[in-house]
Amino acid sequence: MADMQPGKTADDFARDADRPGQLYLVWLIVLGLALANIGLSTLELGRYALVLQLAIATVQATLVCYHFMHLKQGDKVVILTALASVFWVGILFVLFMADYMTRHLVID
Amino acid sequence: MSASTHTAALKHHFEDLEQQHSSERLGMWMFLATEVLFFGGLFGAYTCYRLWYPAEFEYASSFMNLKYAAINTCLLITSSLTMTLAIRSARLGDRQGIYQNLLLTFALGAAFLVIKGFEYAHDFHENILPGTSSFGGEIKKGAESLGLDTGKVRLFLCFYYTMTGIHGIHILVGLGCILWLVLENYRGKLPPANYSTVEVVSLYWHLVDVIWLFLMPLLYLAGAHIHHAH
Repeated sequence: MADMQPGKTADDFARDADRPGQLYLVWLIVLGLALANIGLSTLELGRYALVLQLAIATVQATLVCYHFMHLKQGDKVVILTALASVFWVGILFVLFMADYMTRHLVID
Repeated sequence: MSASTHTAALKHHFEDLEQQHSSERLGMWMFLATEVLFFGGLFGAYTCYRLWYPAEFEYASSFMNLKYAAINTCLLITSSLTMTLAIRSARLGDRQGIYQNLLLTFALGAAFLVIKGFEYAHDFHENILPGTSSFGGEIKKGAESLGLDTGKVRLFLCFYYTMTGIHGIHILVGLGCILWLVLENYRGKLPPANYSTVEVVSLYWHLVDVIWLFLMPLLYLAGAHIHHAH
């Protein structure tokens, strides 16, 4: 087994490396969104505050997952795993909320 | 790079390096899915209580130190950048670059914990604590004068300490993993064919960062619109 072809050379690894410019850009955008999130939260936004904060957090998370965590690379099973984790947390939230948010309907 | 370096990196139960790297990535992502569920439980519980007791949760959140949170957020986001640059260095066979980027990531993560320490010290000093006797000071007086339920305010503080504490432990584990990578680099075990070793640790690190990106708004920004005269 020791003489099996690895299939890739050092040049392949180097060629597939991230472009630093792109990484710096993503970094600046995520940083900017964080500061915007904090800044906007100091304003009186009422009920929209939470939705806006979580929306910004979701955009940041998507950028980090796509560029930094290399979902951009397109490993299908990896993308499936990432989406599955969101789905499973979704089940968790649906079940929690179905209970907690409807208790007032049955308890006086 | 000689063929022997490639075959040294290739483990015998894989067909080729591409399959090996894919498997390593998938394995870490499966673990990350369990971590998402781990924190998901805490986030779910927080969501229910925040929707039940919005006034008390926003009030309690207004006592959280937004300056420290902002600095910490910037530190973590930057550490994600340097960690990704470490993967790039590994792919390029740049050993010095690996050292620099890993140690930078470590420094940023450690700085996060140091600032968290100052934050907790400040909270302890101000009696911003969930215990029956430890809860006091301005946060207690203000809640009582506003007619808010102090029990619900203390519930928020339970979430604050549990969530930031467990997140802090995850950062600590991540720092340990980064130090291990530095050691592996010193041993010459991170040639380009083995870049995925750096990548799997970086996946964990990025997840810890993403968790903070959601944690921060929920704990610190809920009451950011309430301005106290400190």
